[in-house]
Amino acid sequence: MSEYNKPLPVIQPHSKAFWDGTKAGKLLVQQCQDCMAYMSYPRQYCTECWSDNMGWKESSGKATVFSFTVTYEGVEPMFQDDLPIILAWVDLPEGIRMTTSFVDCDPADVEIGMEVEVVCKAVTDEVSIPYFTPVKKV
Amino acid sequence: MSKGLAIIGIAEVPTKRDPERTRWDILLDVCMGAVRDAGIDKNEINAVISPNPMAQPEMQNDMSLGKIPEVLGLKGCRDICITNAGGASNTNCLRLAQELIDSGQANFVLIPHTTVQSDIPPADLINFFATAPLDKQWEYPFGVTFNGSMGLITHRYMYETGATKEQMASITVALRAWAAMDPMSIFYGKPITLDDVLNSREISSPLRAKECNLLADGGGAMVVTSHEIAKKMGSGRHAYKLGHGTRFMSATPFVREDLFHRDSYRASSQDALKQAGMNIEDMDLRQIYGAYPYTQCSALEGYGSVKENEGAIAWAEGRCGPGGDLPCTTMGDATGRGHTGSGVSMAFYIDTVRQIRGEAGDRQIENCNNIIITTSGGSVMNTCTTVFGSEPR
Repeated sequence: MSEYNKPLPVIQPHSKAFWDGTKAGKLLVQQCQDCMAYMSYPRQYCTECWSDNMGWKESSGKATVFSFTVTYEGVEPMFQDDLPIILAWVDLPEGIRMTTSFVDCDPADVEIGMEVEVVCKAVTDEVSIPYFTPVKKV
Repeated sequence: MSKGLAIIGIAEVPTKRDPERTRWDILLDVCMGAVRDAGIDKNEINAVISPNPMAQPEMQNDMSLGKIPEVLGLKGCRDICITNAGGASNTNCLRLAQELIDSGQANFVLIPHTTVQSDIPPADLINFFATAPLDKQWEYPFGVTFNGSMGLITHRYMYETGATKEQMASITVALRAWAAMDPMSIFYGKPITLDDVLNSREISSPLRAKECNLLADGGGAMVVTSHEIAKKMGSGRHAYKLGHGTRFMSATPFVREDLFHRDSYRASSQDALKQAGMNIEDMDLRQIYGAYPYTQCSALEGYGSVKENEGAIAWAEGRCGPGGDLPCTTMGDATGRGHTGSGVSMAFYIDTVRQIRGEAGDRQIENCNNIIITTSGGSVMNTCTTVFGSEPR
């Protein structure tokens, strides 16, 4: 696992809980405990009321595809073996959008509006990255 | 007091990829060229305000720390400054220059730009454009590139508006048609067809290679002064700034509500037009710096030149390219010119002056007196919209 050579997220004190969550296989969303606004990526202070009283809620791990793009070339060398990369913006039930990429998925099967679910993959001993994958049809 | 801002001198070097032509070669050429074009003495320049040369730290230090007036012997230079707003840096240079002029601190300000990207390894440039304007925690670890980010917006734009890939490709064909007639473009003499675009390699869907930017070297400079001084210096050669409006959206695209910047284009253009005392219908040319084709559509929609969702139709019908009734972006945008970092907006302003002077050659728009121009920085974090005219008001 120590051979992971791709960029790791630059984790900040106020976002550490999110990354602790993905390590445990959970997708956490940050919520202001004063005005109850959800943060679209974790912040030190609430973007609505500037409170520092920030808390966390476990999201369902399900999301809807808002947009996606399949990258075939033009990446740095460390991403070369991952091509094609399916990058996406997905919307969580809390009204938060996040950037992610899809795993275990054929680019031809992706559509805007489709349901996806989180897959937290450990890339180092310290970091698990929240990728998504299509919800398997029963 | 002598107020307002007019661009009275311009100079440019051809856009190309040539590491033998150094950053200082370009810089000295365009600085001396613009001062001579303005018809003033070098010692009349009171300030040098430069756009940050992105991804070129040594040149950034030279420009930030005063080398330009020293090397050029600008004995009347009282002040220097550098601005960084990515692609909108030149807009900030113009705004700061106007402040110096309006407050009586300067009569003439030199705004020079230089960029050489051909000596930077491709992987470093991909890294720069993937990390500087995007997020290192919430985007970069997933393999986001700048093309990828713009691919995400473009896909959603096509989904919501129903624009087809052929309509979107027609934008690049038109931009390249303008560029093919421009000796300053890296694609001078090289028009392309719809099939060329549609058959080019897919980079980040739906964007194909011809719809993405070729990173290139280039440079340009402007000399600006007040309306009053410009007017005394003669007529027919100066671009008078008549109004300006800016709107900021967000640094990071995925948190942006105004995803296609329509509201931003609308509000900033309304501010600029109101100050100018004009309507969008009074504009003879629309210069849209968005660097990716969808912006050529959403800006027209925001300006109110076409109905919402119908920007791509206007381009596909040939209205915005050469010979069209709604000419746009005669400079070719970054896609048609070659992307010179913070220099694209410089090339846009210089082209605006050329059009007002009637010196745009085969690209010349007939009776081109009033021009609306929008620049943007970062990942289209903002829209900075200015109205220029051939006469002060």
